[in-house]
Order: sequence, then C-alpha cells, then structure tokens
Amino acid sequence: MIPEASVVIIGGGIVGTSVAFNLAKLGVNNISVFEKSYISSGSTGRCGGGIRQQWTSRMNVRLAMRSVKLFRQFKRDVGMDIEYHQGGYLLLAYSDKEMEEFRNNVRMQREEGLDVELLTKEQILKKFPFMNLEEVKGGTWCPTDAHANPQIANIAYAMAIKRMGVDLNTHTSVVGIDIQNGEIVGVQTDKGYVKTNVVVNAAGGFSHEVGLMANVNIPTHSERHQILVTESVNHVLDPMVISFQNNYYVRQTKHGSFIMGQSDKNPAQGNDLGHTVEFLEEMAPKMIHDFPFMKHLHIVRQWSGAYNVSPDAQPIIDEAQNVSRYIFAVGFSGHGFMLAPAVGEAVAEMIVYGHSKTTDISNLGMSRFANKIEKEHNVV
Amino acid sequence: MRHYEAVVIGGGPAGMMGSITLGGKDVKTLLLDENDVLGGQLVKQTHKFFGDHAHYASVRGFEIAQKLQEEMAKDPNIKVETSATVIGVYPNNLIVYAKDGKEFKVTYKKLLIATGAMEKQLPFINSDLPGVYGAGAVQTLMNEYGVMPGKRFLIVGSGNIGLILAYQLIQAGAEVRGIVEALGKIGGYEVHAKKIKRLGVPILLNHTIVKAIGDESVSGAVIAKIDEHFKPIPGTEEEKVVDTICVSVGLTPLSELAEQAGCKIEYIPQLGGYVPIRNERMQTSNPDVFIAGDLSSIEEATTAMIEGKIAALEMAHNLKSTDVENEINDEIQTLSLFRSGPKSEKIRIGLEKFGINVKPVPEIERHGVQIGPQGKLRAIIDCTEEIPCNSCEAVCPFGAIHIGENLNSTPVVDYDKCNGCATCVIACPGLAIHMLKEDVENSTALVGIPYELLPLPEKGQKMWALDEDGNYICDAIVKKIAKYPNKTNIIYVEVPLEFSQKVLSVEFPKRESPFVCRCEEVTLDEIERVIDSGITDFEEIKRLTRVTMGPCGGKNCKLVVLGILSRKTGVPISKLSHGTSRPPVKPVEFSLFTKRDDSK
Ligand SMILES: Cc1cc2nc3c(=O)[nH]c(=O)nc-3n(C[C@H](O)[C@H](O)[C@H](O)COP(=O)(O)OP(=O)(O)OC[C@H]3O[C@@H](n4cnc5c(N)ncnc54)[C@H](O)[C@@H]3O)c2cc1C
Ligand SMILES: Cc1cc2nc3c(=O)[nH]c(=O)nc-3n(C[C@H](O)[C@H](O)[C@H](O)COP(=O)(O)OP(=O)(O)OC[C@H]3O[C@@H](n4cnc5c(N)ncnc54)[C@H](O)[C@@H]3O)c2cc1C
Repeated sequence: MIPEASVVIIGGGIVGTSVAFNLAKLGVNNISVFEKSYISSGSTGRCGGGIRQQWTSRMNVRLAMRSVKLFRQFKRDVGMDIEYHQGGYLLLAYSDKEMEEFRNNVRMQREEGLDVELLTKEQILKKFPFMNLEEVKGGTWCPTDAHANPQIANIAYAMAIKRMGVDLNTHTSVVGIDIQNGEIVGVQTDKGYVKTNVVVNAAGGFSHEVGLMANVNIPTHSERHQILVTESVNHVLDPMVISFQNNYYVRQTKHGSFIMGQSDKNPAQGNDLGHTVEFLEEMAPKMIHDFPFMKHLHIVRQWSGAYNVSPDAQPIIDEAQNVSRYIFAVGFSGHGFMLAPAVGEAVAEMIVYGHSKTTDISNLGMSRFANKIEKEHNVV
Repeated sequence: MRHYEAVVIGGGPAGMMGSITLGGKDVKTLLLDENDVLGGQLVKQTHKFFGDHAHYASVRGFEIAQKLQEEMAKDPNIKVETSATVIGVYPNNLIVYAKDGKEFKVTYKKLLIATGAMEKQLPFINSDLPGVYGAGAVQTLMNEYGVMPGKRFLIVGSGNIGLILAYQLIQAGAEVRGIVEALGKIGGYEVHAKKIKRLGVPILLNHTIVKAIGDESVSGAVIAKIDEHFKPIPGTEEEKVVDTICVSVGLTPLSELAEQAGCKIEYIPQLGGYVPIRNERMQTSNPDVFIAGDLSSIEEATTAMIEGKIAALEMAHNLKSTDVENEINDEIQTLSLFRSGPKSEKIRIGLEKFGINVKPVPEIERHGVQIGPQGKLRAIIDCTEEIPCNSCEAVCPFGAIHIGENLNSTPVVDYDKCNGCATCVIACPGLAIHMLKEDVENSTALVGIPYELLPLPEKGQKMWALDEDGNYICDAIVKKIAKYPNKTNIIYVEVPLEFSQKVLSVEFPKRESPFVCRCEEVTLDEIERVIDSGITDFEEIKRLTRVTMGPCGGKNCKLVVLGILSRKTGVPISKLSHGTSRPPVKPVEFSLFTKRDDSK
C-alpha cells in the first residue's frame, strides 16, 4: 500500500481492474486498487461469461461492440488466454409480437454496424438439430457474439496491472472517503489511509454503499441471481443461447461443462449470496425440454451473485456533481463483464482527458434519470 | 525296489510338515518333490505370512521353507528326493517317479499326497501371445531366478495371489498399471489390497480383460466393464499400455495322483474344484492314502501345515498304534479357529459337503481403527477385516495389543501400555500398522511408515507423502530410518499436522509432477507455478487452475492444495481461507428435479 495515490479504485472486479489497466496503459503512475476480498470474489467471479452485442439500447450495443474488439485481442494486450470463444449468441422468439420486436432490434443493431440476422425456426433447427424448438417462432443470430472465462479474465487483468506497477491491495476494504470542501483528499481503508484526489467507485454490488461514502446517492441496488454448472461432456453447443420467454441463458465452456442461469421471480435483495433448491427445480424442466440431451446430465454446483441494477438496466458511468473527481462505473445490471474492456478504456480516458474518446458514453450519466428513461429489454 | 513305511508326494508346507511329523514318530519316510528345492509355493513368496504366531506368522514364505528344511535335515528317519517327478501311482502301493532321466520305483504302507494346486486359465482373445503369464510363472521367474518378464503389468484377478504379485512386482521395480477384478469386491485380504492401493495401483472392480494386443508379443490389453452376467459392456473398453499380462484367477487342486491311488474324487467348487473325499483326519476313501494342503482345499500355508501334521499323526497311529489322540484333537481345534472367520466361509461350506463341521470356537471380536492419544508416539493399526492372524499381539513386548483366543478377531490397542517401540509395525504381515506422533505446537506430525522397497531414502531428504489411494498429498521430510533384520524398515517422516491421519505411504519425488486434483487433472507443478507467479489466494488458484472445481467438489484435493499453499507461503493451513461449499454435494441429474416427491 502506497501512502499517496494519483487514483484510487474501489473494487478489484473486472471493471475496477480494467480501469486500472487502461489508466496504466495511458501512463498514469501510482494507481491504487482496493479489493476487500480476493480477485474475482464479487459478481465477476460468479457470472456467466457471456459477451453479447445484441441489445435493445444503442449505448449497450456500442459498448459491447467495442468490448468484443478488445476481447479478441485480450490475450495479446493483457497477456493471458481467457478461453475466449466467438461462438455467437442465439436469441429465441416465441410469438409474432416477440418476432416483431426482434426485427426492430436487428434493424437498429445493423445500423450500428453489427453483423446480426433474423433466423426462422427451420434455420435454427438446421444449425442446432439437438434442440427442441416446439413453441419457438424464430430468433436472432449474431456470429461475433462470444463467451469467455470471467474469473480468469479478472485475474489476468490483476496480474497485468501488478506487472505494470499498480498498487493492488486485496483483502483491504475501503471504509471511508475523506472529502474536504467538495474535494477528495484521501481514502480510509481498514489497513490504513491513502492520500488521493481521484476516486473510482467500481464496487459492483456495493456501488450504492460506496456512493454514500462520498454522499453521492447513486440509484442502484443489488439483487441476487443464481447460476449452475454441470459436468463436462463433449463439445456440442457453440453459442450462448437465450430465451427471454423461458427465462434462461446457457452456454458450454471450453472444458465442456454447461453454465446456465435465470432471473428468479422474487430475487433476494442486496448482496445475499445464498442459493435455493427452487432454482434447480425451475431450471431442470425447461433445460430438459429445450435441450433433451441434458436429461441425464449431472449438475455439479450451484451458486449465486449480485446484479447491480440501475433504473434503465444500463450502466451508470459519470463523475459526481457535488464531489469533484469522484467517478463511478456501476449499475451494470447483469452485463458488466462483457462491457468491462470498453468501460475501462472510457473511464481511463475520462480521468486522463476529462472525457471519453474511443466510445462516446456521455449519455450514460446520471442526468438521464431526470427525463423519461428508455429501459433495456434484453435482460435475463 | 525300495520300500518305505510312509511316502510323501509333494514338498510344499503340507508335505514337509507331514514328513517332519512322521519322522518325529519314528516312521521311516520318503519325501518326493519334482523341484530341485523344497518348499512348494513358499519358495516364491518373499512376503511375510499371515497366521498364528506359533505357525510361522510374520515370517517370509521362503524363510518358512528354509526353517522346515533345517528341521527335516536333522531327522535320520526322513529321506528326501528332489527333482523327482512322480509319474504315476499304481496298484499294490507302487509309486513310479522320474529322476535324472531314470525310472525309479518305491512302495509304501501309507501314502501322503500333498501335490498342491495349479493355476486356473482364463480364455481371452490372444491369450496365447508371449507376454501373457500365469501369476505363479511370473513369481518363479522373478523371485527364484531374478528375471523380470516385463516392465509394465496388468494383473487379472484380485485374490491374495494377484494382490501379492502386484506388491512383489513393485518391489522388483516394475510398474503395475492396474488389477482387474470381475466381481464387485476385492477377493483377497483388505490389508493386501490397501498395501498396493497406497502405492498407486488402481483396482478396477466389475472389470475384465477382453483381449491382449500385440503382433509378436503383448503390447497392450483391452479391458472393459462387465454387467451382472459378466458380459463386457460395449463402449466401456479401455486400452492399457502394458507389456505383460498376469492371470491370477485362482488355483485348482492337482488331484490326478490321488485319483490314480484309488481315492474318490468329487467336484466341490468352494474347495477349488475336483478334490479327493476325505475325513477330518485327512484319510481318503482309500485307507492307505492321506492328503493335505491345497490338494484338499485351496487355502493357506498355515492350514496346509496343520493338515500335513494331522494326516501324519493319523498315519503314525495306523502304522504303529502310537497314541496321537490329544495331539490330533489339538490340531483340529486350531484348524477350526483358523477357519472360523468370514473369509473362510467358502471352505466351511465345502467341508460340510464331506460331513466335516468346523468345531465351535470362541467368538470373533471386532474393533474399528483407534486413533489413540494425540501427541504420544504410538502404533496405529488399520486392520478391521477378520482374518486369521495374531502376529501383532504375539510380538508386542508390553502386552499392549489384544486379539484374544480367536485369531480372526481384530486387534485392539491399550495406549497406556503402548510405548512406541514399533515392534508390531515390522511384524505385521499386512503392513497395516504405522507409527504416529503429533507435535501440535509446531503444527507437524511424525509418521512412521513400514517400507519394503529399495533404495531407502536418506535422512533429511524430501519425499512425497501419499494417501490411501497413492495420491500425492504433501511433501514429507525424512527424519529417521529404522532398519530391521527382517527387511521391513520404518521411514519416519515429518508432515504438516493437518495430514497426520492421511499419510500412509511415501515415495521418491518423480520427474513428472503428481496430480493434485484428479477430476480436473491439475498437477502439483501447475499449482506451484501459479503460486510462484504471486497468486496466493486459494480462491484465485482454484479459478486459474480449476483445482477442486470438478465433480468431487474438492473433497479429495482441497486440503492438499491448502497444504501446498501453506508450505509455500508459511501461513498455517488453519489461517488460510478455504472457500465455500455449494450444493449439490454430489452431482445429480437434471431429471432428479422433474420427479419431485410433493407429498406433505
Ligand atoms: C449469476 C450472474 C450471471 C452473470 N452473467 C453475466 C454474463 O453472462 N455476461 C456479463 O457480461 N455479465 C454477467 N453478469 C454480470 C457481471 O457479473 C457483472 O456485471 C460484473 O462482474 C460487474 O463487475 P464489477 O467489477 O463491477 O463488480 P464485481 O465483480 O462485483 O467487483 C466489485 C468488487 O468490489 C469489491 N468491493 C465492494 N465494496 C468494497 C469496498 N468498500 N472496499 C473494497 N472493495 C470493495 C467487491 O468485493 C468486489 O470484488 C452476471 C452476474 C451474475 C451474478
Ligand atoms: C502368491 C501366494 C501368496 C500366498 N500367501 C500366503 C500367506 O500369506 N499365508 C499363507 O498361509 N499361505 C499363503 N499362500 C498359500 C500357500 O503358499 C499355499 O496354500 C501352500 O503353499 C500350499 O501348500 P501345499 O504343500 O499344499 O502345496 P504347494 O506349496 O503347492 O506344494 C506342492 C508341491 O508338490 C509338488 N508336486 C506336485 N505334483 C508333483 C509330482 N507329480 N511329483 C512330485 N512333486 C509334485 C509341487 O511341485 C510342489 O512343490 C500363498 C500362495 C501364493 C501363490
């Protein structure tokens, strides 16, 4: 732990470490990162690993497209193989209404330059003959969507920033932000005090609490999402498959295991990381129905993590109005892993140049909540 | 033509003990055996024998043969002919044997046949390829002639012979790639099985050999799982790269000479096949002919010797009206004791068919493994299967081990009396006893492991400590090597306290790194490399290497990884975070959750 830092980042998840990585790349020295537990202990280590560009809001599409570019060269840039697999994403539609929505989404996404298409039921069946598509009408398909191992990605960033000289402190909690006359002067941790003028809140599920440390009321809250992994079997499934109707996402990892999850009906609020048997009971019938070969597949482990949710299910990336140089990158609403490379880049640019350069994220600020918000729909 | 009061055919333990007993009763006796040395099966056995301490228990097989031979040599009543192959038993008590290319004849008043048994065959594809051997042939080559028939072995059959052969092969420096066993449980003694399991030999139950592979000699073997009808299950075939296949699927009595001598033969599978009918005193349907040992029922050297003695006593009585009643009854009682355990059930059923009932004996007492008082140097005995053996009780100088009258009982230790002398460790034929002393203050434990391999490590050397399945669990530092004349040495190693109850074996560190996590095939090297790169959080190590993330959920390897981490970082295991446990504890099918019991 260094006594004085140019930037203090609170949170060693994928977002915090990505911000640190990009800052260091831009030549910033004396960066401190504080992580209260181990690297990947937060949502990042618990997430599904999906990397999707098919969103209903333009901002999400743009950030995701930029991230896919960065994920592709992750191994070269960051220095570790993160099991990145560009196997596409298949989104399933079950009604004419849903097909119509999908058609509109595809139009918008193509305007953004995304390589995405509508598929008929027959086309889907041809690609994935092992699926049972009984009630399915059609779907959308983006071959450049991908998935990767989020835990390794997080640790890869952590190892890279250590090599780059970042002061990374795990098992160290930030307990207070020292503000004098609307300016940050330091950060108090349970292991000591650091002087600094710049703080990044990348606290994931704890973004609201860490906001309050600086008297900033960030409109985020956390809710529990459950997930499970199966035994490993031969590779059959390339893409991540999502069904909003049946409420699931599923992918097969490099090791052959399937990872899948859903949104619980009444998710536990806050950072409760327990698990329920109802989750297994709800997942089992729909997976067996849509993927009959899974009937005898073994479930190896279930766990849960927090979605840090914002009012419009899009991230909030901004600098506080009342505290100068208090920056936050939070509220990822269940898709922060995939956005992290682009977000880290944008936030680093905000800190160094005063505004993001590569991707315009100006409309992800807090001010948007003053108007009527446009909610992202494609969320599981 | 010569004439003897008694002739004994077969110089194994049964025939030798018979001859010694006959000579002792002043009966002029001739012993014939086809081999150039006496001892029968014993000659090939380099391991310590089980049994009653009064009957050579914990003496190595070939040494028992030497001892018996020394006794015989002292007795002028006994004449021994080796390299003498009996080719037939003819009418009028005539025996014809071949020696040095010449025919010899001899007649007898009473005959003891103790020809032992031969190995059963197992048919499989290419079983005629060079490189497929009977277990006995391999033992003969290896232990008598010092010739190793191969480097990598597959053993078929998990009876005591297969298990012991595996152990002997490892002692001789070979690699045993596995033992396949058709039944759902191990045939031999548990202690023999454990001895090789902790050396890393897998025992595959419900498996058989399908075929041998190779052009001119064996280059591999295909094994497969079998169903309840012993049929290989398609799709479960697996190839083992081996150059030698040892078949050890049981023995069957060599009853031809007995048959020629006019003894009635019956097929009794529990006794091993075709066996001569006989009474409790080993007399066959021909009153001049007696049998003993494996020929009468496939059993043990101990029982063979007792049967040889009973037969000889009865023969002496027939010949000279010597009073042997008490002696015979004593021996019959001892035999009953031997045969009272669960492992002798087959023999008891077989003997009942002859109307021979095992005498009532004191009840068998059963005890689990005792851990004893922490911190004291003491013997830990892992011997919970009822087998006829009492050598630990017999050798303990402090009377700390109790087995009792029925030697099938399992041992119980009085730790107030145990003073840590380790005499039982070196006597135990099953290598089922080790020494333990915890040092709580320094968070270490001293474990004394019986060791019969060569070379011995050196004091201060680093070894790998292995668990009951031969899996690496931690590093161990050799603190002391206690050498003993019976060649069971004890290696005392220091290990972290957490592993004090898991370490059961040691081996020299190998060039290729051992698997720490078998589910995900993560090696010690990989984990050390990750730690060396600066990752010292168990959770991070887990996520990078997948260690503990397999179907077993880390049951087998979590502590091992924490041990490595502790060794490298100097942080005691108790202070390390060990992650969270998540359901399901055992993998379950998705289908489970579609068949719910909703009853209230
Ligand atoms: C079940 C599940 C499935 C998901 N699937 C996907 C998916 O497929 N694709 C996708 O892109 N996203 C997915 N997500 C969302 C994704 O995991 C998150 O959006 C992303 O990991 C957020 O990263 P982060 O760095 O902001 O948060 P985190 O990874 O939670 O990191 C925040 C860190 O801050 C630390 N912290 C908090 N307070 C303090 C403090 N006071 N002092 C010091 N440290 C502190 C925490 O310990 C934590 O490690 C999923 C999430 C869940 C729960
Ligand atoms: C690997 C192995 C491990 C064992 N471990 C133990 C143990 O730990 N404890 C224990 O108590 N027992 C053990 N046994 C069993 C024990 O060795 C036998 O039960 C015992 O040797 C049987 O004695 P036997 O005298 O009946 O027959 P054998 O020892 O087989 O002797 C028979 C003799 O008769 C000779 N012979 C046969 N036919 C003729 C003929 N026509 N002319 C001349 N000679 C002939 C044979 O060559 C042989 O020398 C083990 C056996 C094996 C194979």
